[in-house]
Amino acid sequence: MNPAPSLLDLARTRTVLFDGAMGTELMARGLTPGAPPELWNVDRPEAVREVHAAYFEAGADVVSTNSFGATPLKLGAQGLEARAFELNLAAARLARQAAPPGRFVAGSLGPTGRFLPPQGQATEDELAAAYAEQARALAAGGVDIFLIETQYDLREALAAVRGIRSVSTLPVFAAMTFGAFRRGYFTLMGDEAGRSAAALADAGADVIGANCTLASEQMAGCVRALRAGTARPVIAQANAGQPVVRPDGTVGYPLTVEEYVRFVPEIVAAGAAFVGGCCGTTPAHIRAMARILRGEAGS
Amino acid sequence: MTLSKAEIFPRMSEAIIAGDREAARALAEEAAGAGFDLLEVVDKGYLPGLRKVGELWEQGEYFLPELITSAEAMKAAMAVLGPALNRGPAGSRRAGRIVIGTVEGDIHDIGKNLVASMLQAGGFEVFDLGADVKLERFVEKAEEVGAGTICLSALLTTTMAAQKRFIGLLRDRGLRGKYKVLVGGAPASRRWAEEIGADGYAENAVAAVNLAKSLAGGS
Repeated sequence: MNPAPSLLDLARTRTVLFDGAMGTELMARGLTPGAPPELWNVDRPEAVREVHAAYFEAGADVVSTNSFGATPLKLGAQGLEARAFELNLAAARLARQAAPPGRFVAGSLGPTGRFLPPQGQATEDELAAAYAEQARALAAGGVDIFLIETQYDLREALAAVRGIRSVSTLPVFAAMTFGAFRRGYFTLMGDEAGRSAAALADAGADVIGANCTLASEQMAGCVRALRAGTARPVIAQANAGQPVVRPDGTVGYPLTVEEYVRFVPEIVAAGAAFVGGCCGTTPAHIRAMARILRGEAGS
Repeated sequence: MTLSKAEIFPRMSEAIIAGDREAARALAEEAAGAGFDLLEVVDKGYLPGLRKVGELWEQGEYFLPELITSAEAMKAAMAVLGPALNRGPAGSRRAGRIVIGTVEGDIHDIGKNLVASMLQAGGFEVFDLGADVKLERFVEKAEEVGAGTICLSALLTTTMAAQKRFIGLLRDRGLRGKYKVLVGGAPASRRWAEEIGADGYAENAVAAVNLAKSLAGGS
């Protein structure tokens, strides 16, 4: 069912390019801030397809489905739990439809928003079951790989790997979100990057990574920290700086495309086999990254 | 055997730093049984521990789980000390009453809970309305209990606008001068507080207590 060569095969020949942000692109097309973006997979499919197409056109090898907040648990906070399968299936199909031959679709799975003790009362089994349910729908819609993203608690990330593995044999990418501290790179819960990478690899993740929180200038250091913990390939998707709230209450990102992509060679040199953008990045960022990566390949 | 203040205060601080709920509670009971000035117990026994936790967090040594367990240890101690403090003559020296909650449309409450525990530990009588709280409800509660300060938490860029609306609501009611309004949460900032006309913003729970104290003292 997978196209040949696989995404992992491709990464052995050159740096693979993922896409940039989805939510802000949908807002630019009229999505109300705060509304669940996943509803547009059914209500405004052409807008979602258009964003995927723009990223492919910009040179992305892989796009991520519009399903970041679509575990049944997360959707449940909006009263949409019963629509989890439908919204994820639609997310995967839309990205698949937009993908030219030879390009790839990553099924995006973000945090459930539930907390394990001591912060909350969720259980790891409950989280794993939610990820399994989402993964089942994304696989049915035709994704090539799973991309667990923006995880801040290693235990939840591990539960996600376990949940996905229970329903599918497709490759699993597991990316957590680390902040830069004096002692290194840590999640909100204090999970260190290298240690997390080792644990995720042990749990069966094929690719380990970092996304969000860090700006592109900080990402190379985090990639090195991840590689200290695992020999698996690494994915890095940085933000376009730290979010700033504009006077009208909307959120913006301060880095220009040039400022952002300046650090891409350093991130690749640090050992990232897969790169892409996170919050604040657009098709323009991906286009500029593609130029740098393809230039690199041609030189 | 009864411990002296010099012996018991460092242990209280250590119990908070270690997030040891049971030790924090037992030491509070011992202090209450020994007839110590409980305000001094909070101030010199427990608060230095909380301050240290705040420092460790700012230095990237402590993370959310440590903050939560320390806050819970503090809560366990305050469950013993709070009622006694309110009953005793020290009650009149308490820092004031605060109404706190996460604004409507926003269900995040971890940070708010932490700030509420710290405010309570800092000597305030705290009325925690929980999360997803209607703006009206903050006013009702503050009027009902005679609070001096209202704290609004918002964790989303989409819900922070409620903090601004709240200031407008107080103005419309002619109540703006009656309350100090503090705002917090990931998307908030000092600039945001100034822009919407709030009385203050604090970066973290420790800073929130200091800010609330300085504002309450100044009013």
